[in-house]
Amino acid sequence: MSKKQEPGMAYDMSKLNKIFAFLSVGLLITTFWVFLDDYIRPWKAVQLEAMQIRRDKLQEKVEEAKKSIDQEKLAELQAQLAEGEEAAKKRQAEIAALEAEINKIDKDIKEETITNGRLNSMVSATTFKYEIANSHGDANARALLATLRDYKEKFEISRDRMKTLEASMKAKNKALDALRAEVIEAEKGIADITRTLDLLKISLAKTDVTPVFAVRNAPFLDFLDPTLKIQQLVIDKVEDDRYFVSVPKVDRCITCHTFIDQEGYEDQPNPHKTHPNLELMVGTDSKHPMKQFGCTSCHGGEGHRVHDFNSAAHIPQNEEQKAEWIEKYNWHEPHKIPQPMFKLQHTEASCVKCHQGVEHLPGAAKLNEGWDKIEEYGCYACHKIEGWEHKRTPGPSLEKISAKIDKEFFKNWVWSPKEFNSHAKMPSFFAQSNNSKDEFMEKNVVEVNAITEYVWDKAQDYKPFAKYQGGNKERGKELIKEVGCMGCHGVEGYEAESKKVGAYAGPYLTGTGSKVKSADWLVSWLIKPSHYQENTIMPSFRLSDREANDITAYLMSLRNKKFEKLKFEELNKDLRDELLVEYFAAFDTLEVAAQKVEAMSDREKTLELGYRSIGKYGCYSCHSVEGFDGRAGIGPELTKEGSKPLTQFGFNQQHDIEHSRDGWIKAHLINPRRWDGGLDKPFKDLTRMPNYYMTEKEADSITLAILGQVADEVPLKGIKRMSAHEKLANEGMKVVNKYSCVGCHSVDGWGGKVVKMYDDTNEAPPQLNMQGFRVQSDWLYHFLGNVQPIRPWLKIRMPSFNLSTEEKNAIVTGFQAKSSQPTFVANDEKVEWEPGERAAAVKLFEALACASCHTTGFNKDQASAPNLYKAKPRLRPDWMEAWLHNPQKFVPGTVMPSFWEGGESLEEGILGGDADKQVKALVKYILEIGENEIRSPMRR
Amino acid sequence: MKHFINIIADPIYSFPIFSLLFFAMIKWYRVVGTKKFAWVSLAISIPVTVWFLADPQFIKIILWPDNIPINILVILIAFLTWFPLYKAAENDKRLEAGLEPIEALPENREKVWAWPNLVYTELFAIIAGTIFLVVWAIIFKAPLEEPANTTWAPNPAKAPWYFLGLQEMLVYFDPWMAGVVLPGLIVVGLIAIPYLDTNPKGNGYYCFQDRKFAITSFLYGWLVLWIYLIIVGTFLRGPNWTFYGPFEYWDFHKVVAEYNVNLSEFLWLKWLNTSMPKNIFVREILGIILTVGYIVVLPILSLKTKFGKEMLEKIGAIRYYIVVFLAISMCSLPIKMVLRWLFSLKYIIALPEIELNL
Repeated sequence: MSKKQEPGMAYDMSKLNKIFAFLSVGLLITTFWVFLDDYIRPWKAVQLEAMQIRRDKLQEKVEEAKKSIDQEKLAELQAQLAEGEEAAKKRQAEIAALEAEINKIDKDIKEETITNGRLNSMVSATTFKYEIANSHGDANARALLATLRDYKEKFEISRDRMKTLEASMKAKNKALDALRAEVIEAEKGIADITRTLDLLKISLAKTDVTPVFAVRNAPFLDFLDPTLKIQQLVIDKVEDDRYFVSVPKVDRCITCHTFIDQEGYEDQPNPHKTHPNLELMVGTDSKHPMKQFGCTSCHGGEGHRVHDFNSAAHIPQNEEQKAEWIEKYNWHEPHKIPQPMFKLQHTEASCVKCHQGVEHLPGAAKLNEGWDKIEEYGCYACHKIEGWEHKRTPGPSLEKISAKIDKEFFKNWVWSPKEFNSHAKMPSFFAQSNNSKDEFMEKNVVEVNAITEYVWDKAQDYKPFAKYQGGNKERGKELIKEVGCMGCHGVEGYEAESKKVGAYAGPYLTGTGSKVKSADWLVSWLIKPSHYQENTIMPSFRLSDREANDITAYLMSLRNKKFEKLKFEELNKDLRDELLVEYFAAFDTLEVAAQKVEAMSDREKTLELGYRSIGKYGCYSCHSVEGFDGRAGIGPELTKEGSKPLTQFGFNQQHDIEHSRDGWIKAHLINPRRWDGGLDKPFKDLTRMPNYYMTEKEADSITLAILGQVADEVPLKGIKRMSAHEKLANEGMKVVNKYSCVGCHSVDGWGGKVVKMYDDTNEAPPQLNMQGFRVQSDWLYHFLGNVQPIRPWLKIRMPSFNLSTEEKNAIVTGFQAKSSQPTFVANDEKVEWEPGERAAAVKLFEALACASCHTTGFNKDQASAPNLYKAKPRLRPDWMEAWLHNPQKFVPGTVMPSFWEGGESLEEGILGGDADKQVKALVKYILEIGENEIRSPMRR
Repeated sequence: MKHFINIIADPIYSFPIFSLLFFAMIKWYRVVGTKKFAWVSLAISIPVTVWFLADPQFIKIILWPDNIPINILVILIAFLTWFPLYKAAENDKRLEAGLEPIEALPENREKVWAWPNLVYTELFAIIAGTIFLVVWAIIFKAPLEEPANTTWAPNPAKAPWYFLGLQEMLVYFDPWMAGVVLPGLIVVGLIAIPYLDTNPKGNGYYCFQDRKFAITSFLYGWLVLWIYLIIVGTFLRGPNWTFYGPFEYWDFHKVVAEYNVNLSEFLWLKWLNTSMPKNIFVREILGIILTVGYIVVLPILSLKTKFGKEMLEKIGAIRYYIVVFLAISMCSLPIKMVLRWLFSLKYIIALPEIELNL
């Protein structure tokens, strides 16, 4: 304080004032800053952008509408209008007088309305007073009655006056219109032409930035009624877990995704783009309208958060987009979001949330692919997944394995299935990245030996019932392709076709000669598969002995010489004992465990280790082995895998794996053993999930399907609940899928893999579209148990499946339900002809040359269409009619001609050329000729 | 170097280091309390801080919105510790020379009007503070997180920054002690200070020599046992409350070996090589004896020292015992920490049966 202030003052006052002024300005600025910071929201910019886009689009439309107006006509009408106005001017005096009168009457009407209204209320009030007084016997009742009647009378008079006034008003208006008739007509004509344009102009005006717009959206004032505001959908069908309670989902995505539900913005960049699949999603007429399902129900993410781009938990679909978003939106990984948005390519995972327990979901191609892959690799066998319990065990039964292959093959195969068959579905457990140390390999060898001994010990004797008598392997090779083996199997020698078909229900047939112990077994298997394994899905193709021997000859000629030479190492007894001690020591001390092992015989030890090893690797989940009935799979349940917190996924030392659920699952599928990398694990704790050598694409598909297994509790009203028909259909499709019917047949667009092998679809297995509508239930049931060829020109055979009665019933009812058809359609009535109808039918049958393809029973030519004599028991009459009207609708690409395309008949001379009548007559004719084929119990 | 810093940041090393630095600061307060020292320290700390901030992991922790106030706090504390030491050093020099303290110079004793000198400047402070808070709130948005989710608790679950010292204490003490007894003693002790401190010197002016014990013991509790623990709790405790060095990635899966043993287990199982007595008090007898000895015998023994005798004389018996009790309670924290690090000692008295663990 060198500079002395005035007495009593520590500071210079004017300096203090300056500081105060400075701080005040600072506070003012910060106050404005607060409001501005609150006011400026990213979504407002987006909405302004959207407004501009809408404006541009509307302007385009306005231009278009202007162009489409007939200018000549408009000019004409405008001339008329001018003329009319001219004429009206001449009658100006009359018009003015009339208008004055109308004004006068209008005034009278309004006045009378008041009088009338008052009287009306007085009547009501007095009525009440009088009724009460009268019922109580009050003295003034009489006086009140008099008043009431007076009011009533006046009211009536007033009403009458009103009617008079209204009538004269009408008359005057009519007179006025007559005086201005030309003008009115011309105006109406103009409005008719320009209506669209006028409406568009009104819409366009709404996008104007007017002072009103500015005021409504101004800072401070925008709480009143802003036009730029957060838009939201409240979805009560789907709920979110917030603050320990479930509340209806609130999605505000449409705040920025402005045009998501409106057609016409497909060309815009995001977020202004129209949803790419309005027909299925979002669209008002779709199955999932936006107002009922919102956005995050399917896409995931935080739909209620619109703070900025990141707050919604957007997830980029790939590294490229990630880089773009970081650049554009400062994107970062969402924090603490249990379910961030699905990557775009994984969105279909969400379907699982509501559509559970179905075999196939139309419209969800990627999800179906994932489900197919899960089925192919049999993930569900080791990992429980709710809704997959009905699936068959993926691998063949080992109960009679000793009759099929020898031990040496078995061991080498288990050690490395891919070495024998690069298409093997059996995954590799051994010689993987985490167990290829010598120490581990030696132990694995012991385990495989022990497993083999155990399996052979439990295996039942089996004697093939047929003898191989030698065959023509060239013919056999042809037969394999012809009869339809490739609907389920890939086959060596048909590599290109196998790849095209991509069948996986059965194993890829390669090196069979090195695998199968005896040709006798193979012949027996081919003739009657259920003889060897009762529950096999492999059907019989009703092969003749010759055919079976030929196929056997071919398959036995396929050898894998390199694999044959492999010698599997002998069992090391010391290591075996060591492993057993380790197992026993789980509950005993090492010493006691060692004593226990010591007490066992050599054979017992081997079998015990075999038993334990099968349990350890979970072989029994895929293969039926004696001693493991009812044991659950060894993998963790996957039903809710999609909701498992990311922190519970063990990334261990694998830092280059993307840190997300899908990143982990995909990496896991491609190489499950990778997680052991960089860890020091003892032999017994090594990761056991085997390696399927999946491609990235396969892993991606399965990842998608697994991601959909979320724990979200969707309220009952939100879940897709199947109708009775849909349930039956689904049960049927489960059997259809189990036996791989869809390997050959396309069922309403699902499956039909083998068709890809044929250039002409008419040579391929028939498409089963609306099959329940097509065939009679009892016929189908009978057919499934006793297959008879229907299409004689087909080389591929419908095999005879070993179906149980329940399974046959499920298929039949499934198809009926799928086509929403009644189970039975009576077909036992005799055909009743209209006069002359039968003759017309016969004539038509000739004219259309039906018998040129449907030859059977009509001439000796080679048939290239089904036997019409057998149509009656097989087909439903309604279907026949529908089929004749438009065969392409049911079987696209069929050679059956469309004779009545567009309801027009080619034969105008018959039945007056009436398509309906002609079709009916033909169907009757076909039903009549099939009379004798009816063997159903319903026949009278 | 970073690896070395990661290691010494562990409380096992950093706590003794910090304590030693503290006592060095007290011992050489006249060196610390110079402008030269302040400038040199600042000159050294700026490049060091820059080097720290260049580390991606460190800057991530520093810029975490929750941690911003603590950064400010650390800087403020450094200045506010130095400033009184500087003033005290100056005054002590004058007092030793027989002069009055600076605050007692005539020009500093002059009286001025409350308005505008005080009230007006207070208004400035209010406005400036408001501006600061508003700007801070705009630039660093409130670190609000997702709605609470029972199945997805935050990890690490951290207390508000001002309680992180307490939370750090939970590592070493039973929750009942660390969460109730010790905080209670802190509050009671702080309230009691004016009644315990009867030393008239140092009123109205900065000094150290006249209030050695008061300043040293308070600052030790404040800087080492409170601020230091907050810093550890904020910057060095990651998922699962595991220690992470300032440059160490917060790996969720980090595991630290911690198997702690009770004193009674040491006594009966290891030293006496026998089974644990059934009677719980007999079982814990050594801990009980030690604790009673610590609380009762130690204060009495302290009277044998010269310092104790002088102090008793100055403030009287009741005040003396309260002061000693508070002091040894405070010291129980570092003692327990050291015992934990050296012997993995869990509890001195372990009586979970009656909810008493010390």
